[in-house]
Amino acid sequence: MNKIVKYKLNGKDVEAPEGRLVIEAAKDQGIEIPHYCYHPALGNPGNCRMCIVEVAGAPKPQVSCRTGVREGLEVKTDSDAVKRAQASALELHLVNHPLDCPVCDQSGECGLQDYYMKIGQYSSSVREDKEHKGKRIEAGPHVMLDQERCVLCTRCTRFVDNVTKTHELGIFGMGHNERVEVTPGMTLDNAYSGNVVDICPVGALTDRDFRYKVRVWYLDKTDSICPGCSRGCNISVHANTQRPWHNDGKRVARLKPRVNMDINGHWICDDGRYGFSSLDSDRLGKVLRLSPERAELSWFDAAHEVAAKLKDSSIAVVASGMLSNEDWAAYKALFVDALKVQGHYFTAEPDQLGEEDALLRRKEKVPNLKGAEALGLKSGSFDELKKNLEAGKVKTLYVIERDLTKIWGDKAAGLLAKADMTILQGPNKYALGDSFTYRLPATAYVEEEGHFTNFEGKVQAYKKALAPIGHARPDWDIFALLKKAVIQPAAKVAA
Amino acid sequence: MTPAAALAVKNAFTPEQEKALVAWTKKYPYTNLGLIEALRSVQDWHRQMTPAAAARVAEIFNLPFSHVWGVATFFPTYTHWKTGEKRVGICRGLTCYLAGSDKMEKCLEKTLGVPKKKATADGKFSWEPMECLGACEQGPALQVNDRLVGKATEESILKLKDMK
Amino acid sequence: MTKILTKHFDSEPKFHELEAYRRLGGYSALKKALGQDRKALQDEVTKSNLRGLGGAGFPTGVKWGTVPPEDKVPGPRYVVVNADESEPGCYKDRILLTRAPHQLIEGLLIAAYVIGAKDTFIFIRGEYQNQYDILEKALAEAKAAGLLGDVTIHLMRGAGAYISGLDTALLETMEGKKAWPRQPPPFPTVAGLMAKPTVVNNVETLSMLPFIINEGAEAFAKIGSPKSGGTVLFSISGSVDKPGLYEFPMGTKLRDVLAACGGPKAGRKLKGVIPGGTSMPPLMEKDLDIELDFDSVRAAGTFLGAGGMIVLDDSMDAVEIAHNIERFLTHESCGQCTPCREGSNWSERILERMLVGHGEQADIDNLARVGDNITGKVICALGDTVGMVLKGYIGRYPEDFKKRVKSS
Repeated sequence: MNKIVKYKLNGKDVEAPEGRLVIEAAKDQGIEIPHYCYHPALGNPGNCRMCIVEVAGAPKPQVSCRTGVREGLEVKTDSDAVKRAQASALELHLVNHPLDCPVCDQSGECGLQDYYMKIGQYSSSVREDKEHKGKRIEAGPHVMLDQERCVLCTRCTRFVDNVTKTHELGIFGMGHNERVEVTPGMTLDNAYSGNVVDICPVGALTDRDFRYKVRVWYLDKTDSICPGCSRGCNISVHANTQRPWHNDGKRVARLKPRVNMDINGHWICDDGRYGFSSLDSDRLGKVLRLSPERAELSWFDAAHEVAAKLKDSSIAVVASGMLSNEDWAAYKALFVDALKVQGHYFTAEPDQLGEEDALLRRKEKVPNLKGAEALGLKSGSFDELKKNLEAGKVKTLYVIERDLTKIWGDKAAGLLAKADMTILQGPNKYALGDSFTYRLPATAYVEEEGHFTNFEGKVQAYKKALAPIGHARPDWDIFALLKKAVIQPAAKVAA
Repeated sequence: MTPAAALAVKNAFTPEQEKALVAWTKKYPYTNLGLIEALRSVQDWHRQMTPAAAARVAEIFNLPFSHVWGVATFFPTYTHWKTGEKRVGICRGLTCYLAGSDKMEKCLEKTLGVPKKKATADGKFSWEPMECLGACEQGPALQVNDRLVGKATEESILKLKDMK
Repeated sequence: MTKILTKHFDSEPKFHELEAYRRLGGYSALKKALGQDRKALQDEVTKSNLRGLGGAGFPTGVKWGTVPPEDKVPGPRYVVVNADESEPGCYKDRILLTRAPHQLIEGLLIAAYVIGAKDTFIFIRGEYQNQYDILEKALAEAKAAGLLGDVTIHLMRGAGAYISGLDTALLETMEGKKAWPRQPPPFPTVAGLMAKPTVVNNVETLSMLPFIINEGAEAFAKIGSPKSGGTVLFSISGSVDKPGLYEFPMGTKLRDVLAACGGPKAGRKLKGVIPGGTSMPPLMEKDLDIELDFDSVRAAGTFLGAGGMIVLDDSMDAVEIAHNIERFLTHESCGQCTPCREGSNWSERILERMLVGHGEQADIDNLARVGDNITGKVICALGDTVGMVLKGYIGRYPEDFKKRVKSS
């Protein structure tokens, strides 16, 4: 840490570490200086000229993204000259901007709109025709490019040059003919492409998945943790509940990264960002007995029916790193402490393994294997489970939030049939959902709160963004119900 | 997919040209210092800049293609239309403009029979207005392939056609 | 009239050849300098009041002094000759390169010795292919004569961008990048080419060095005005009888310069004189007695620039001139920062509309306002010019602009 120096911000004596950029130091004091090109993770090219401030003694205004705090510095961010300079820079950004806010997805979270309301509010002096550039360019599978809205801040090109080092976007042409374009012969299809939408301060880069679905001001935002791998990237769940008839009935409209410098910095990967379709489809909502005769049960009845059968049976439990720390604790209380189950199977098999890289993505595509490990839970191998099933040693197979066909392929149905009683607990039905004896609906991570322990052992909380679907309950709650039913079967009388 | 794979760059240059491009990577104390000159060579050979050629240059210089394409689309010497063998420039800087460069533009169009930035059918000539050529005392200044010809007049423009 | 750089131009047609150059005393200054204390030589240049003749007017010796010494920053350091002359109105370097390449090479070698540079560069605009050939030949001659010692002089051509002539954009261009100006600090003398200490000097500036070394700083300073030593070249065009290259002592009156070149043309009234290339707003009739040097021209509200003098007369229209310059700046804006990229084009289009008869009073006010908003808030001097030109012409020639307002 640099030494702390005293400086003056808008006449007030304040302190900051020496050399801290004024744009950041001011933010520390609660003053947001308008900017487009500066981004803490992408540097300070100083090209947008929005963050202009007055520095005492300087012959001309300075950009605060390239001015470091030093002892005795006097900065003004709110003088008339500064306001004029910022309004003027904004005016020049808008000379050729199409002003198509009514049909732009960025509306409501757009740097041009926001600063216009904050510092602009002038009437336009532009009498010339707008210049036309490329629109609706499919930059890649996830991102749409509109060159007319672009302010050429270079954030996106710096991202693909310096963060992913994949170089799919460039600024081509010179001066007034400059455009952000997809590099000839390439597509913006790197594993982190969606981040360019987040860092684009205007509507030039928009999310194809989200385009025209919901206005951003109808979205509710909840802090969460991405369950897509063991990194534990901090995300915000943007849910659309106010206008349920929008967005084809999907409640989750999009996921956005939240900054956490210790975990994911500013970014998330595309797998995590776009991997939320199972939250609104293929869901379990009813507590069901499927065989011998199909019946919808109350949680109470189900718990006692299942508990009665679990007792004194040879049980194998298939679980997964999707469970929260709270879930694992209740899991342990039920299956280890109460039922003394020996066979636990929750390692990440091919169904939960994927690509990893040096940036964020981890091989294990579940968030919380560490949580099980921390409680001393040990997983057997799925080969062992398979053998035990084939040998008829497993009478009861309890599957929690896992698609067996993704582990055993075509053999899964046969293996499942080897057990006398099978239970599927989880948010989703998956391929074999109709072949179980019981189906217990559990909440998805957006419908509960809890904690995940990431691969480094960092424990992070996620919050509840949505109401559960149907009768779904959190896994820990189901385990607790079952445990109670196992320990106190007499409770049935009370009902 | 890498742009090099997509753009089929392998046949962009002759073996001699490849050698010349490699030579530019070694001419200066740092490899990248040769890039602007290497791209000048490409413009000379192809009379234009294509993504395939620039992608091959990127490979030779071990630079991201987007970097090289950024440079290749930035500098006015590099064109994205095919120039004539004789690339004629008429200066439109202030002095040359005041001396009637716009009239000489019309004269070039008439004499060569093509609009600006379009090569003649035989590929021999193209013409374009250029920014100050540094010959204001001879304005409107006329140049061919980066060499000053002198003052543009109806006669000097007519003589262009005799150039070898 | 004292001449330094062009002294032998009339009398010696082969001044560009090594034999003639040496016969007339060439390379004696280099010989004299080599072996002398480098700091003393730098002080000598500082004392001479030699200032950067590429347009900025920064004292050359002082600039050299900001190069960190080898014991503090070890490793290579470079000297780069800026021969990317592209400012409309300027052609002095073209003629210096054509007529006196050895004078530049000698100056460059002196600078390389003082700076401690082993690799040096001459960055020449690509459109000066004739001059490139001349330089190549002169370098071969100098090398064959053993004059280069252990210094390498690299030649490098630009690719048609005016902005490459700005020192930090020039370095970017050399490094194989877009000519997007850097934003000092650090200045090139601290972190220039490939982040190594680099002195960038103009052709004319370096060409002055042989004289300074041979005749002494005092003799050089005495020729000029108090703060601008020696002579200055004016490449003159526009409304003059005898356009061409003129060398005058710093501090020569504008009136005398016009008398020498015969401007304005007979029968025409003086409208103004662009002193140093189109980026500099014109001097006016009232300024005829200004003693032309960096500071006095600045005091008159414009800049000496790079000596590209364009004489304007009453047949010329200020709106057309401003439009021509803004069109140029739009074409040459590197596009890096928004006010310049958008402001140049917007201004050009407003002026274009005025030229075709759709001007309104609001346009004039708007141009002045936008111009004022751009200058001082951009990355580099080109952007400043976008605003300065608008204010400069509207302020000096309000009648020309009013004439373009549509009468209702």
